[in-house]
Amino acid sequence: MSAFDENLGDTVTLAHGNGGRLMRLLITKLFAPHLGNPALDTEADSVCISLPPGELMVTTDGFTVQPLQFPGGDIGALAIDGVVNDLAVAGATPVYVTLAAFIEEGLEMAVLASIVQSLGAAAKAAAVRVVAGDTKVLPRGQGGGLYLALTGLGVRPPGCKLGMSQIKPGDKILVSGTIGDHGIAVMLARQAYGLRGDVRSDAAPVLSLTQALLDIPGLRFMRDPTRGGLATVAHEIAQAIGHGVSLEEAAIPVSPASASVCEILGFDLLYLASEGRVVAVLAPEDAPAALAAWQALEAGRNAAIIGTVEANARGVRLLTPIGGARLLPELEADALPRIC
Amino acid sequence: MNEDLRAAKLWLSRIHELPLRESVAVMNVCGGHEHSLSMLGLRAVLPEKIRLIPGPGCPVCVCPEEDIADAIALALEDGLTLVAFGDMLRVPMNATKGEINTLAGARAAGADVRPISSPQEAVAIARDHPERQVVFFVAGFETTSAPVAAMLAEGVPDNLSVLLAARLTWPAVDMLLQDKDSSLDALIAPGHVATVMGAEEWRFVADTYHLPVAVAGFSAVSLLAALYSVLRQKLENQPFLDNCYAELVQPHGNAKARRWLAEVMEVGPANWRGIGIIPASGFFLRGAWQRYDARRRFDVLAAPRRRIGEMPPGCDCAAVVLGKLTPEQCRLYGKACTPMHPVGPCMVSDEGACHIWWQAGLRAA
Repeated sequence: MSAFDENLGDTVTLAHGNGGRLMRLLITKLFAPHLGNPALDTEADSVCISLPPGELMVTTDGFTVQPLQFPGGDIGALAIDGVVNDLAVAGATPVYVTLAAFIEEGLEMAVLASIVQSLGAAAKAAAVRVVAGDTKVLPRGQGGGLYLALTGLGVRPPGCKLGMSQIKPGDKILVSGTIGDHGIAVMLARQAYGLRGDVRSDAAPVLSLTQALLDIPGLRFMRDPTRGGLATVAHEIAQAIGHGVSLEEAAIPVSPASASVCEILGFDLLYLASEGRVVAVLAPEDAPAALAAWQALEAGRNAAIIGTVEANARGVRLLTPIGGARLLPELEADALPRIC
Repeated sequence: MNEDLRAAKLWLSRIHELPLRESVAVMNVCGGHEHSLSMLGLRAVLPEKIRLIPGPGCPVCVCPEEDIADAIALALEDGLTLVAFGDMLRVPMNATKGEINTLAGARAAGADVRPISSPQEAVAIARDHPERQVVFFVAGFETTSAPVAAMLAEGVPDNLSVLLAARLTWPAVDMLLQDKDSSLDALIAPGHVATVMGAEEWRFVADTYHLPVAVAGFSAVSLLAALYSVLRQKLENQPFLDNCYAELVQPHGNAKARRWLAEVMEVGPANWRGIGIIPASGFFLRGAWQRYDARRRFDVLAAPRRRIGEMPPGCDCAAVVLGKLTPEQCRLYGKACTPMHPVGPCMVSDEGACHIWWQAGLRAA
């Protein structure tokens, strides 16, 4: 647990959002110390920022995960990583984020302090600065403890051509590590099925992974397989380009603990979220170089080439180890709502 | 390549080497088998002459409408909690418009309906709520019936009763094979059922009907070994009972489980949804155990049992269960009937062939 000013009280109350003394204390004593940076002016209505040269990239995302804290992370780190990762997979270097926190009355102050500390640490690790923020307090029952909304700004080299439209038949698909661990960790943290396990969320910034590939000429497209998992990214690719995607089941990295939880509960890791992985599509001749670049990084040590973009095909096929094949359907009913 | 995969590929190559001259129809009677071979993509790698047909392997799919109607009627009673395995909550019955047609619908209307995953949970709920009547709605095969028998034999609170829709697997296969028009050439016998009841229960397929039969487990190795066995039996015209799941299946099954079943339950004719009455195919509580029978305990079930019609219009679940149609041959498959909006039980249950084929990515032909 993180220390916080005792004048704040033990729990968040509506008075912490009323614009008065408690709100000022909340911002200056709980948020600012962890987010403190030269660009954050807690008094100003808006701030002036300057950006390095390059194409300006912007993304925005909301975070509602339940529970707020889970093995391997919490909503604070997840929010920073989520925004950083959306910029990173587009080829950008994240620079600034803005933060809006919707806090439910009754949230323990210690929990909030711990989450804000973790958010600050994640921002520092990703070298992004929180430059604007807002807090609101919602009456009890109107929010799941804490919701966060973030907007991220980044820059990428001019002329960076990444996108689904670049993908061609024959291209190879890579993933940077084991899939679905975040989905499993959050589910186990809810203790919804009477199961416990030592699966940790993979939530992490992916900037080192994306930067490692940016100079490879055959890099076509990157995406982080969050909600809907790897299968959903494969479907998005197949639909966008009008070709098929085949995935090699035996090549897809999975952690044994997550795989056994899936076996017990009948879930499919292919559809579960990761929050610290990257799926990349590369020209076939450049795929081995990309794989080597990832495997040289700690975050990419389990990276693998897992699939191919196929001409004259539609949809997503899973090639099974025995040499069989089946179609991977699009995700329908969501097994696990509110994972990010 | 790991050991299991190597072994599976070896069986596969042996199957390809068999000199099959004509088409062979091999039925499995276990939703777990159908699930495994669909997810492994086995149909795509087997010789074209081999047709793998899902048969009556889904207990939820054959649970008759009147039992679902009874469960809904009970659930709507004041002071009563109805518990059932999760699948049963979504199985629809053919109700008139506006009438509640699933247990999930009853729950939405305020009934206390709870999904459970083991008999122990039913007992725990009854213990925790002595002021309520708790009814355990049981649709299942031998693998479910034995633990329910054990639950009763080990003692349950007086406020717990069971609404049984439990069935035996082999009588349905026996009925299928009696059919003169049957075009089945071989049977893969259910691994889980055989762990309880023993492999010997399936000897009749070879002895009476002169058809190849092999008990299989759920891995690629075990399924392919069993398939190889029945194909070779067929080619050599020497059918016998093979056991390709010997690591778990004993000739006479699980003695303790069979004792519980024999003590608590008796076998009688029972209705199968869309199929009709099959002799000696249902489990019913015997003797003194009948005091736990929800049908005897609650007056609401004493009224004449409703029979609107077994299946919703257009639903081919019964033909799918019997292996006469494959899921995509049903007119509703993937159109009116999907896992989100199931019309028939085969699209609801994880063991239903339609649900499995949908999960494996097969869309309407």
